[in-house]
Amino acid sequence: MDKQYNNAFWHLVFVAILITIGTGVYLSSKSIDYTWRWERIPQYLINTEPQDITAPFDGTVELSDNDKTVTLIPDNGEDPFVLKQFDILNVDDGDIVFEGDALAGLDNWQIGPITWGLVMTLKISMVSLVFALIIGLFTGLARISANPALRNLSITYIELIRGTPLLVQIFIFYFFIGTVLELDRFTAGVAALAVFTGAYIAEIIRSGIQSIHPGQMEAARSLGMNYVQAMVYVILPQAFKRTLPPMAGQFINLIKDSSLVSVIAITDLSKAGREVVNSTFAPFEVWFTVALLYLVLTGALSWMVQKLEKRLAASD
Amino acid sequence: MTEHIDPSIIVAKDVDKIYPNGCHALKEVSLTVNRGEVVVVVGPSGSGKSTFLRTLNQLETTSGGSIRIDGVCLQDPKTDINQIRAEVGMVFQSFNLFPHKTALENVMLAPMKVLKKSRDEAEQKGKELMLKVGLSERMHSFPSQLSGGQQQRVAIARALAMMPMIMLFDEPTSALDPEMVGEVLDVMQSLAKEGMTMVVVTHEMGFAREVADRVVFMEDGELVVEDTPENFFNNPTNTRLKKFLGQVL
Repeated sequence: MDKQYNNAFWHLVFVAILITIGTGVYLSSKSIDYTWRWERIPQYLINTEPQDITAPFDGTVELSDNDKTVTLIPDNGEDPFVLKQFDILNVDDGDIVFEGDALAGLDNWQIGPITWGLVMTLKISMVSLVFALIIGLFTGLARISANPALRNLSITYIELIRGTPLLVQIFIFYFFIGTVLELDRFTAGVAALAVFTGAYIAEIIRSGIQSIHPGQMEAARSLGMNYVQAMVYVILPQAFKRTLPPMAGQFINLIKDSSLVSVIAITDLSKAGREVVNSTFAPFEVWFTVALLYLVLTGALSWMVQKLEKRLAASD
Repeated sequence: MTEHIDPSIIVAKDVDKIYPNGCHALKEVSLTVNRGEVVVVVGPSGSGKSTFLRTLNQLETTSGGSIRIDGVCLQDPKTDINQIRAEVGMVFQSFNLFPHKTALENVMLAPMKVLKKSRDEAEQKGKELMLKVGLSERMHSFPSQLSGGQQQRVAIARALAMMPMIMLFDEPTSALDPEMVGEVLDVMQSLAKEGMTMVVVTHEMGFAREVADRVVFMEDGELVVEDTPENFFNNPTNTRLKKFLGQVL
């Protein structure tokens, strides 16, 4: 028999513990004389400062049409640079400007470095995820294949990848394989993450397939389906449903592991955070923000997987 | 079309099955089944009757001997086993319905994917078969929402959807609650009346006595007795069969 709990009371206890932890963080920051400067953070997420439009070369400015068009005539007689869209004008007719000088400003907002990092993390995770799923599916199938060559190859791959740290694999992919095949850092990072996650997904898929009763394969084959048809129409849809929970965990791991690609100078969320810390001297705020953004990504992902799980549960 | 049609549709000759662990499951089993005939295989558990049935569509490979289905030798490496299986329906003890598909989708899947029938055609045939097994009202239910007897009837419809020339039944009522055995046997009996060639492994002696054209007794991997139901049940001469019948009847 389950013990009856006073729910309201224990919810209060939970909230009280959270408040205690929060206060603890605040007090400990006080004790080391930390000054919170949260106001410095938003500009690194979304930058609303006017954006400068700079001169591409040395030259003379010509204004026309009631200051609606700026034309920059280069000193060396090449094609002029024409600027039609701007909000703030910084130059006068006849001004002599040098390369890099601000000609005008644009009022529109821009996304800041942390948001760029978030986008990069999302991009690298999604691309790796697609490839990891493909690698994992075929390795998982090879793992249970009757062909010893396929089986041993997949076991070797899985053991090799699971037995070495991801950080080392990223270095190997970037400095060795990347150099041999002339991969750019993004490709090398994606490849390392996909190969790493693929090994784990392979094991998840293998266990998913093996958890399906052998009678399902027999029934499918007895109806005349070949192995591939039986896999695609009968076994994998069932295995997919069963492996969703561990798969979601693996996807979340992938998003978190993607922070390691910052070591090969890919500006993902983590590296963006480090850079912003250097310019703001507000490490606590920045790292809390970065952690929160990771949490948003992983939270959204597990929410989507839960939705999918509910939808697939119709046949249970 | 009557000229020179071979009356026999299954010809199993000296079929041997030795498992890698040394277990000798089938010992030179020979059996011929004619078109439209219902053959019931009985015997104690572990006698090899299910193994023998499963060699007929090669869910179980053989170690020796040969099996011909409609003249095609299954042991010939050139034989396309998927094509044979499409023409030999099988019903399992544990139903093995596809749990992620509704009853109707279970019936439609193989005709669409193997016979490349259109969805409409498969659906029409599927609905016909669901009516035939008396499950028109439940065809959009998932297997988990059906009783054992209903699931087994869907499984029969699923096998029939491939328009097989032979139906194999592997203890189709053994996993059912007693009150559901009847509904499944009724479907099988009407199928037999329509002239379907059937090989049935079962413990239902009543079904064997009533529906079978021939009854086969297997023990220890050997085919011991093969006879008409009358002789088999009323005047058994073989001592092993007598002992078996004494236990089950």
